Amino acid sequence: MNSIDPRVHQALDGEIPREALPPALRRVAERLESAAALLAAAPEGRSVADRVLARLHRHAHSPVRRLARWLTAPHPVTLRIRPVWSLALAASLVLLMLLPEERSTPVLGEHEGIAQFVARFPGAHSVQVVGSFNDWRTGTIPLEDRDGDGVWRAVVVLPAGAHEYMFVVDDERWVPDYSANRFVEDDFGRENSVLIVRPVKG
Amino acid sequence: MRVALLLACVAAPLAGQSVRSRLEGRVPAAAIPVVDSLVQAAGREGLPTEPLVGKALEGGAKHVVPALIVSAVETRLDQLRSARALLVRGGDAPPATPAEVATVSGALRRGLPPPVVERVVGALPNEPRESALHAIADLVAHRLDADSSASLVIDAIHAGLRGGRLLDVSHAVLEEQQRGRTWAESFARVRDELPDVPPAPKPGEGTVQRARRPSSVSKAPTPP
Amino acid sequence: MDVREGPSDAEVVARVLGGDREAFGLIVRRYESGLLRFATRVLGGRDAAADAVAESLVRAYRHLASCRDPTRLRTWLYRIVANRCKSHLARRATGDVSLDDAPPIADPTDNEAALERVEQLAVVEQALATLSSEKREAFVLKHVEGMSYQEMAAVTGERIPTLKMRVHRAREALLKALEDRS
Repeated sequence: MNSIDPRVHQALDGEIPREALPPALRRVAERLESAAALLAAAPEGRSVADRVLARLHRHAHSPVRRLARWLTAPHPVTLRIRPVWSLALAASLVLLMLLPEERSTPVLGEHEGIAQFVARFPGAHSVQVVGSFNDWRTGTIPLEDRDGDGVWRAVVVLPAGAHEYMFVVDDERWVPDYSANRFVEDDFGRENSVLIVRPVKG
Repeated sequence: MRVALLLACVAAPLAGQSVRSRLEGRVPAAAIPVVDSLVQAAGREGLPTEPLVGKALEGGAKHVVPALIVSAVETRLDQLRSARALLVRGGDAPPATPAEVATVSGALRRGLPPPVVERVVGALPNEPRESALHAIADLVAHRLDADSSASLVIDAIHAGLRGGRLLDVSHAVLEEQQRGRTWAESFARVRDELPDVPPAPKPGEGTVQRARRPSSVSKAPTPP
Repeated sequence: MDVREGPSDAEVVARVLGGDREAFGLIVRRYESGLLRFATRVLGGRDAAADAVAESLVRAYRHLASCRDPTRLRTWLYRIVANRCKSHLARRATGDVSLDDAPPIADPTDNEAALERVEQLAVVEQALATLSSEKREAFVLKHVEGMSYQEMAAVTGERIPTLKMRVHRAREALLKALEDRS
């Protein structure tokens, strides 16, 4: 590739006046500008305005948007989620969880923390949490309702940081965690809840 | 009480596992080639790729049509690009780290105005900003002014607080408000307490599990 | 910059955010020709450019609240289109432009100057098509859309020295193509 005299670049970038170029270099600059001027001619074609405005009208009235608005309306929740950060508490939780069977104690890494999921779904047969921490894969983190009062819980070791998730109720209904108070659009017409897991260590 | 302890890694890209192999069987086949190409493009641009793969997997799990999955992944890619531009404007020397790009993208998605994010980036040069940004976003989500929230969190940073302690600051403001104080009073009280803001309360008991990436394929439930 | 009639960008943005969806049409009509021109030169085709610009303007509407400085609406819109073009190119096998739209056909009754312009445009377009997408985008933003390097940095997220290098390389490639032709 042929190099252009740096002064041409400087002139075209407005760093030196065009008059500072010798005639031969001035012609090079003019040739490039003529080429750019050809490209600057607006290409023929129909306006996209009608297409854009038609889509905006559809977007405003879509059933998905109405559902999103319904889903984000406040719902009564009896319990709040509190993220865990204390090593002492994590250790005590682990000790409480130990059983005589062949279960191993979760050992937390330096960049891991403990998250508690709590949700009220009376009458549900199963509740699980699905999110970015388990590749949005179902069947991996079930919640438990031990006393049958409709309050489902799970405590999970997760990497420290922000995670998005939803609850899946009875293997069919995807529901945000309204007690979480942190939401982001999922770009599929609904909202995910956001969880911040604090590292147990530090 | 039962300990349900599952094996294998927590969520992180598995070394040596291709994007396509993660998507196959979980994302509609029609979407996989485009998603793969978008992920490759992100990789070439030095952007984090896991948010894009995760978004595609999320779409597959939620039984979303292929075109919408592709659109969502494109949206995420655009957001990552915008986040990196913001980091550079905020003072980070390029190339911005993928982790920080993902963090800033998350904060913008939670509704933080870009100038506020830039302020935090400038207040924490060469340090992770995730907790600071989410602390501000927590206050903004409760309709507090973004600039005032950022000022308080930045004051907390200057007082030496980092990481989860910044989340304690926003929690303390919300607690003051729940006690009946105005937002201005709540900010003032918490600012006066810096750096000794009380930590957020601790959770109760439960069944400890570890998130895993299982090897078997499970049937995704039908979303509403 | 041309003096524009009608409300300022900031006024229009405020109206749209206040609920006047139709006001967004002002923004569309004000910027679509430049955005289409930019996208056409980057993607190498009018149809692909129209798709990219239409998608970008819909996205711009949905995220208009995130445009915190409406006085910089133009660079904000160009950034959205630039990102959309990158995604379009990523979906092609090689990322090259194919110039799949037929080149302008000269009308035999055109005068000699017009015919020469058509020929030259074809040469320039072909030269542009051989550049990497990053260099092509940089050249178009600089010399076709008339942006400063600061504005280009806001659109692309790249550092100014990087953008200057891309523009300089694009100029060299273009000049060589023109000289080879002549």
